[in-house]
Amino acid sequence: MDRKKTLINSSVSNNNSTIKGLQLFIADLRSAQQAQEQEKRIQSEIVKIKQHFDAAKKKQGNHDRLGGYQRKKYVAKLAYIYITSNTTKLNEILFGLEQTVELLKSSIFSEKFIGYMTLELLYERSEVVAKVNDEVNYQLMKDLSSSDDNFVMLALNFVGVVGELTNRLAYNDDITTGVFKILRSPTSSIYLKKKSALSFLALLKSNHSILTEDLQRKQLWIQRILSLLDDTENYRLTLATIPLIDFIAKYIDPSYCTRLLPQLTEILYNCVVVGTSRSSDNQFPLEYTFANMPNPWLITKVVSLLSILIASPTERDSGSLLQTNNIDNELLNKLRKCVSVAIELGTRQAQDPMERIVQNTVLFSLINFASKLDPSDEAISNSVTALCSLLTSKEINIRYLTLDSLVKLCSSSGKPAIDAVRYKNLDMIFHLLNTERDSSIVRKVVDLLYTFTDVENVKIIVDGLLQYILSPKNLAEPQIKSDIAVKIAILTEKYATDINWFVIISLQLLSLTSNTTINDDEIWQRLCQIVVNNPSLHRITCERLVDYLCKKQASEAIIKAAAFLLGEYSSLITDRISSANLFTLFAEKYFSAPNVAKAMILTTMIKLYKTSPEIGSNVIKFFQLELNSLDIELQTRSFEYLNIIQLAKVNGNTDILQILFEPMPPFNSKSNPLLKRLGSLPASAGSTTLINTPSEASSSTPDLLSKRANSSRSIMVPMPPPSRRNTIDDANSKISSSEDFSGKDSYYSRQILAPNWREGFTRMISHKQGVLFTSSLMKVFYRITTPDAQQPYVFHISLAFINLTEWEITGLSTQIIPSKTQGNPEYLILNINTPSTATIGPHKRAEQSYEVSIRKPFDVEDSPILAIHFKCGGSTNTINLKTAIGMTTTLISSDVNPSMHLNLAQFISRWKTLSDALGKEGEYQKSGIKLNKDFRKVETISLEDGLLLLTQTVKRLGFDIVDQTSVRSTLFVSGIIHTKSEGNFGCLMKIQYQVNGSVNVTCKTTTAGPLAKYIVECIKNVLTK
Amino acid sequence: MAVQFILCFNKQGVVRLVRWFDVHSSDPQRSQDAIAQIYRLISSRDHKHQSNFVEFSDSTKLIYRRYAGLYFVMGVDLLDDEPIYLCHIHLFVEVLDAFFGNVCELDIVFNFYKVYMIMDEMFIGGEIQEISKDMLLERLSILDRLD
Repeated sequence: MDRKKTLINSSVSNNNSTIKGLQLFIADLRSAQQAQEQEKRIQSEIVKIKQHFDAAKKKQGNHDRLGGYQRKKYVAKLAYIYITSNTTKLNEILFGLEQTVELLKSSIFSEKFIGYMTLELLYERSEVVAKVNDEVNYQLMKDLSSSDDNFVMLALNFVGVVGELTNRLAYNDDITTGVFKILRSPTSSIYLKKKSALSFLALLKSNHSILTEDLQRKQLWIQRILSLLDDTENYRLTLATIPLIDFIAKYIDPSYCTRLLPQLTEILYNCVVVGTSRSSDNQFPLEYTFANMPNPWLITKVVSLLSILIASPTERDSGSLLQTNNIDNELLNKLRKCVSVAIELGTRQAQDPMERIVQNTVLFSLINFASKLDPSDEAISNSVTALCSLLTSKEINIRYLTLDSLVKLCSSSGKPAIDAVRYKNLDMIFHLLNTERDSSIVRKVVDLLYTFTDVENVKIIVDGLLQYILSPKNLAEPQIKSDIAVKIAILTEKYATDINWFVIISLQLLSLTSNTTINDDEIWQRLCQIVVNNPSLHRITCERLVDYLCKKQASEAIIKAAAFLLGEYSSLITDRISSANLFTLFAEKYFSAPNVAKAMILTTMIKLYKTSPEIGSNVIKFFQLELNSLDIELQTRSFEYLNIIQLAKVNGNTDILQILFEPMPPFNSKSNPLLKRLGSLPASAGSTTLINTPSEASSSTPDLLSKRANSSRSIMVPMPPPSRRNTIDDANSKISSSEDFSGKDSYYSRQILAPNWREGFTRMISHKQGVLFTSSLMKVFYRITTPDAQQPYVFHISLAFINLTEWEITGLSTQIIPSKTQGNPEYLILNINTPSTATIGPHKRAEQSYEVSIRKPFDVEDSPILAIHFKCGGSTNTINLKTAIGMTTTLISSDVNPSMHLNLAQFISRWKTLSDALGKEGEYQKSGIKLNKDFRKVETISLEDGLLLLTQTVKRLGFDIVDQTSVRSTLFVSGIIHTKSEGNFGCLMKIQYQVNGSVNVTCKTTTAGPLAKYIVECIKNVLTK
Repeated sequence: MAVQFILCFNKQGVVRLVRWFDVHSSDPQRSQDAIAQIYRLISSRDHKHQSNFVEFSDSTKLIYRRYAGLYFVMGVDLLDDEPIYLCHIHLFVEVLDAFFGNVCELDIVFNFYKVYMIMDEMFIGGEIQEISKDMLLERLSILDRLD
């Protein structure tokens, strides 16, 4: 863009949209060379506009003297003044607010537009909002419900732009419902729906309670929003809807959104794989591509949402998310295919700059997502290789993004990624470190190196980093050098195995600090802690410190560390240097040191005196000198130390010194304070390498050092770094903490079930197959099988959805919601296959299956909920059903296993054994269970018929009945309940038929606890349905 | 995944467009300072040897690109992937270019309100809402002709 154009033709657009007065004003301002001149012009214009506005106000009541065009012109000028003054002149233009609001009321589009546009700019100021909010909201409501789409559009834009600047709109129920109404209305144009989706998002961001306050509204509105994705033909609405869903999944409730997985996968697959295939039958809408590449916007948005919905390997227990082992294999493979195609596309040569940007967008978005797909080691290593080939790219952005992506990959995928990088590309990375001139890239290189350092390569990497800091040609910002120093300190502490090397490097690092502006107390302090805690380091560190002190220029950090450590351990190196010489050394350094270091040296001196009283006269002289110090701290210290020495002399022994300056006890700070300063490294980066070597993770490094050095003393010190939690984690923990007291997921208990759900539920307890649900639109069949006879606690549940209408059912998706996903749940839902098709033709069917594995006893009322969502004939439907899996479902009938059959004597003896062992524990009684309506006129049924029906029911459940004739009115029943984690339980029951048509049940189980109750509840359900 | 703000200023640091999408600060002085800092940071960068991405604060990084004498800058969350925002910026500039016909800084100066109209058609709630250039231009020409 250059300034080749003259003023005259600068406005190419149609004439009636230009505002001549405004153009002249702007031209005037531009021709004014001096800032002062401009300022004068602005002020005179402001005065003029003020006069016009005042005049208009006086004439109120009469017809509008100012006129819409004039008003628009003046307000636009004020807006220009605001922008061009870099938003500083707010107060000078505030007088125009009233007339700006007046513009909103205009029925002329261009006037209304200028009004809204100006307010969009000014709404970032709370004083503006406070003044005009009520009036604006009123006008906003009128425009939202206007019959002119362009007015609605302006109102939606305004909400979308200022919705987050003030929460006044988001807490106005009329506005939130107004916007939502446009979003859900079948008659709104796609254009308005798109805008309303994003405006609604802006409101939701300011006020989550729009959706969370009222449960019913939450369910209803979220389903409405999700159904906007059903239109698979039109990606344009999808594009605007996904960010809204993204936000809901992240901050409101992800559980509603997990059912979108098949749809999202389909979009991604279409964009990345189908959209780019060169085959002639590539029938995909043009919109799936952009600049000859897959549509980057759709891809990044879909990937972002998928990343939220799929739990990463490290957050396995976050309940409401999808786990990779639970995702339909076909979908998982499709997603993986997308990643590999993106890598292929991303490494292709592209000429057009836009094409290259898009290429990178797609590549990095998918590569960063790949770690969520439980990739094979080979796949990871392939991604890494592809990425590393981009490190040599000429484009700086690509190198930056590649490094960023490698850091993420190494942190999330662990060893396979790390190995692939470090074994083949270390030289390359060091080369980048030394040649890059962009500090943000250098930072990424350092992060990457840090991420894959371990015991094996710590020396090479630390050496490379140290060279970088030392090299004078790297004029990088001091901040970076300081960050690198911190990282070196952490790495040496974490991975050093060689004491000598550890000490050399650490001191080298400290000695640097005077040359660069690194000023890190934390580094020398940490070193002192480590040395104190590891006796094997005492002597060697002290020796080296003396060497450093003897040099002319010792850095402040070296002096401080020396003052502290030599004070403690000088007695260990008397063969190298006498206390007297050490004292002289410190006395020399004293005068050039800053006050904090001086104070430390004073303490060192008295410690030296403690071990070598023969240097007393020098020490006393020194302290006496410092009594005159200008610094109060130094003066006080000298005075106190002098008195202590005198006291010792009077007593004739050094007891008081020994007590006051006892040897330093080991430090027990739990974590390395340096770890807080890792900066922008991803959450797990600090601990990645620890994962590979768990033995190291459990112990702490200084400790480790001493062990490796065969020290017999084991010392406690800092714990491994607490891994930082990322934002997603936090969001999830917030959500999962909303469990109710029974430990059930609140999401489960909040489901509103279909009115006649219980009928199918009861049928499912007693029958292995049948009808689960029927309505005028859909019929659902179920079938329960036990795929493996050895595992009677694992059930395969097949569902069939039949379309009963004459129309198509579209957008079919389901969710299986367990009562608990966290905290050791009673059962798990496994191997969920998504419905075989999302579209069911009239009278056609779709099928689906999943498995339930029962881990321990639970109440049948806590069975999984099946949520079915679909569209039919323009209506959006949700059916929530409970699919019964009871403890009785795990029974194996004695027809299959005759050995379980008991005779009466066995039954009685076992009953007695249970009574003796458990007493009333593990027993449950229920009397007066009324038989259901199928046994009509129960009073008239004979005992025989009643017992026959009971027998049939109980047998169908899988119980075994003892053959006996001695107690006619009672059935003696036995069975074995199976669970995965807690094993099998025996169960004995007496079911007594009363003449009045009711039944008493007494149930005993071989375990204390509520199992007996759970069994009786199943039976009661079947008998009374 | 949302744009925190869109800025456009020239080489001298004069602001041409400013749009905040979230509450950056209740203190207006702070947002003016932020703009000044962003200008200093970006104008000091070497576009040959430095990338188009730079961290700005502990909650924001900047994605920017220079077109002739104008810088277009977007502020986004630190965790966001950068390249898509370059797409945003590039598409925005392409639409401006097509709308004004070989756009230059003067077009943006004199028709700032139209540029805001274009921005509103492309970005609301910090998200991009339309990416089809044809669709955008068709809609914009209708709006531009409305009385």
